Amino acid sequence: MISEVLLSTVRMATPLIFLALAELYSQRAGLVHIGLEGLAAIGSLVGFLVSLITGSPMLGVVAGAAAGILTNMIFAYATITLCAEQIVYGMAINIFAPALAAFIYRVYFGAGSELVQVGLMSTLSQSLGIQSNNFIVQLFLDQTPMVYLAYILVIVTVIYFNRTKSGLNYKAVGEYPKAAATLGINVIGVKYVASILCGALAGMGGAYLTTCYANTYVDGNVAGRGFIALAAVIFGRWTGGGVLLACLFFGFCDALQIRLQVGSFGIPYQFFQMIPYVATILVLALLGMKKSGPKGVGKAYLPEER
Amino acid sequence: MKHTNRIVNLLVPIVSVLLSFVIGCIIMAALGANPATALQSLWIGAFGTMRNVGTTLSRATPLIFTALCACFAYRCGVFNLGGEGQFLMGAIVSCVISTQLGITGLPAIILCLIAGALAGGVWALIAGVLRVFRGQNEMIISIMLNYVATLFMGVIYTSWLRDGSVPQTVAVPDETQLSRLGDLRATTAFILALVVGLLVYYFLFHTSKGFQLRAVGLNMTAAQFNGFAVKKFILMSFIVSGAIAGLGGSADLLGTQFRLINGYGSGYGFDGVAMALIAQLHPIAAIVVAIFFAALRVGSTTMQAATGVPTSVSDIIQALVIVFTVAGLAMVKLPQFRAVIDRMATKSVQKKEAV
Amino acid sequence: MKKLLALLLALTMVLSLGACGNKTTTTEGDANTGDTSTGDTGDTGTGSEGGAESTGLKVAMICDSSISDGGWGMSCYNAMVAAAEANGWETAYSDSIAQSAYYDTIVSYCDLGYDLIYAPGNQYTDAVLQAAEEYPDIAFALLNGGTDTPDKATNGNVTSLLPDAQQVGWIAGALAGLMTETGTVAFIGGMELDTTLGKYEGFAEAAAYVGEQAGKTVSALDIVYSGDFSATDKGIEFAKAMINQGADVFFGDASAVDSGARQAIDEANAASGSVKIYDIAQPSDLLGQNECIIGSQVTDNTALVSLCMEAVANGSFGGEVIYGTLQNGVLSAGALSDLVPAEVQDQYNAYLQEMQDGTFMQ
Repeated sequence: MISEVLLSTVRMATPLIFLALAELYSQRAGLVHIGLEGLAAIGSLVGFLVSLITGSPMLGVVAGAAAGILTNMIFAYATITLCAEQIVYGMAINIFAPALAAFIYRVYFGAGSELVQVGLMSTLSQSLGIQSNNFIVQLFLDQTPMVYLAYILVIVTVIYFNRTKSGLNYKAVGEYPKAAATLGINVIGVKYVASILCGALAGMGGAYLTTCYANTYVDGNVAGRGFIALAAVIFGRWTGGGVLLACLFFGFCDALQIRLQVGSFGIPYQFFQMIPYVATILVLALLGMKKSGPKGVGKAYLPEER
Repeated sequence: MKHTNRIVNLLVPIVSVLLSFVIGCIIMAALGANPATALQSLWIGAFGTMRNVGTTLSRATPLIFTALCACFAYRCGVFNLGGEGQFLMGAIVSCVISTQLGITGLPAIILCLIAGALAGGVWALIAGVLRVFRGQNEMIISIMLNYVATLFMGVIYTSWLRDGSVPQTVAVPDETQLSRLGDLRATTAFILALVVGLLVYYFLFHTSKGFQLRAVGLNMTAAQFNGFAVKKFILMSFIVSGAIAGLGGSADLLGTQFRLINGYGSGYGFDGVAMALIAQLHPIAAIVVAIFFAALRVGSTTMQAATGVPTSVSDIIQALVIVFTVAGLAMVKLPQFRAVIDRMATKSVQKKEAV
Repeated sequence: MKKLLALLLALTMVLSLGACGNKTTTTEGDANTGDTSTGDTGDTGTGSEGGAESTGLKVAMICDSSISDGGWGMSCYNAMVAAAEANGWETAYSDSIAQSAYYDTIVSYCDLGYDLIYAPGNQYTDAVLQAAEEYPDIAFALLNGGTDTPDKATNGNVTSLLPDAQQVGWIAGALAGLMTETGTVAFIGGMELDTTLGKYEGFAEAAAYVGEQAGKTVSALDIVYSGDFSATDKGIEFAKAMINQGADVFFGDASAVDSGARQAIDEANAASGSVKIYDIAQPSDLLGQNECIIGSQVTDNTALVSLCMEAVANGSFGGEVIYGTLQNGVLSAGALSDLVPAEVQDQYNAYLQEMQDGTFMQ
């Protein structure tokens, strides 16, 4: 039971990690992005289509990332260059991108079509030809490359933000953009880079759902993960390590909720689904203003005002 | 100068709508449908008959409430994104009162509406308190509260107040339902929405408190400097905007939906914010915009049936309207763009003077 | 400069959207050349392509799952299209709609002058009744409707199409009882509906009975509900959890959730190197779609919808309950896979015969 829940936690946390890292890179550059749901939706569809056509889930993930970047450029141009309201634009992406994904799927496959299934990315142990029911082997080896990539990206992120000059500059853009600009940092440039990273990661998170997790595409398959990722970034206090722990915790809650339903304990399952949101609100309520994330988040930056 | 501002602010949404429709038409043509027929059926579906007009107005009603909720909050510089949660809390409380307390008729309606407004206000106040006293970002908190409210509603219709075989609550008793406007599907809830819209307009633009509230919204530091009770205003705008949304949930439940059910209220809050922004936070304009979006939604079903264009095309058009308008409005506020407009304005004035 | 940029942005969007539209339509054309359905959405006018003369009558279907879900939605949609072709009707549909939008969608089709509204599921009952009251001249067919639903419609314009949930459960349950080796079978439901529960109960009792006859103890795990017909991921997780509890034959009624469950079962089979865990599909014959599918419980919705269309055409529609049973041929068992040994196939067919004769579990 416990080992099964842990395996399930890894499965459910991985897309959250990608999406939460996307949010982290965006927010660290001062861009709050609530449109991850939409980016992941388009990434998931494009990932599915490309992996179906080419037969390569890897290419699917790459294409999903590219689709995420392209879609996020709309957000980037509007919020960075035109200084449009970030929250509203994220929301517009959330309406636009899933509609586009649903539309493309319907037009491509037609109505009442047979179920289309794709081959999923093989796990490391499958590639190595290892067969084992050992829990440790399953946990560490029976995972797709995307899972390892997620954890590697977390480590890279932690090192980047804490140990490199470029990372410190990046953070400065999110905290005090004007001060950063006076130090000679290209604020607009960093924000665009952030948007590219955010789009790619969110697109990959979406593509994970259709190339590594489920072998079919269904409208609405992102199912609120974008917002849980947003919660994870706050719950994880805007640090790579914190975000990872938050994603694992939320993934664990989700896995547990499924098992509790199978075991029928009689507690309405919605209470378990509330955990990420309630936990985030509590964390925000308990921690003071000083720790509430990058100061420049959500604010437009006009270079002319210098 | 002020005159040109007005024109530009009016032009942006209009151009955005046109542009979105042009793109929509290109997609339809690419699908092999005749865009003219599609648009015609869209129009007929939304406004073709009195019955359709009624459907459009009834669909617009909840959107008007959430748009007004956003207008009110944003005018005070409060970014309440929790319209959906507040709407649902209003609906939940009304559902409990109308189906569990055994009272019916007008007293029940009045009690439901008041309690619904209160519930919405209290739900919004959570975000308000965290912003004012803990300095937290109210946008994030109100989004999280939306999910909590949605899941809480789920507990009610799947477990606590579930009725029979389908996961949903019992319907509001006939006597407690709001009456319809003649033969139309729209109910008195729509009238209530219009009244709330007028009240919000009157308060914001024709009372001194409303002026102060807008001053807080425009420049919080300056308002504080001038001795306005900024914190009080912020808390008040959370409560009032939440109450508007809660009232909307209550009125919509008693008027159209009658029972709590899966998917209820989904997206209303965000829709409201988008509509309020397109209306540039003007309450009366927000009503018009809400009706426009409702018409797009109602008409799209007719369009799909008549021409085979999927309803997702209508979703894409709606999203593009938001995408273009919000970007357009932001663009015209940029200093560079301002300069261009001012120059053009002065030129035309000079020309007139020359004549 | 900004203006120019904005224009450029708009232009690229137009182009990219236009381009994607173009590309996809061509593929659609290709995909459809070998397909009888001509359009991506309910194209009007396709009805006359079939054998029957066009009658000018129109049917619309609403559905909360996608009609491309490879399960319930797809089967119900194809049933409507097939019935419409046979009877010379035009079709339209709206799918993936939220529960709160059932009524609005139904009413839209009523306003468009559709003659028959086809609502494939018990969950549409209230929306259908509400609309039926306002549109007395329109016929409403409610698949899996309650036995008392037609009486509740004051205008007598609602007909329940009622495949016998218990028999549906039996058909799958008997096969499950024969095939299980662990003695544990599982059922994944979509929404918490009475008909779903009825199927589960039939499934559980038939599996237990058949198992007992074969000298083994078979029990069904508690029913779980995904709460949402499109949650593939929940199907995966539910199935994994249930496999972990020893379940080795699965049945369900949750469209995309089922496909998630089948994926998880296929994966578990692949990991163990042999197909040891099975799935029974529904409501059409899906044998071959996944490796784990050993058979299907088939509901001939086409026949039921056809009955409604005939009744509407000759003006006799309304107010009745049309049952779908093994006896009248609406319910049946689909083809069995090679994984079911020949002697078990014989046993299963004998049980099916008993069900037909009304002697099963007597």
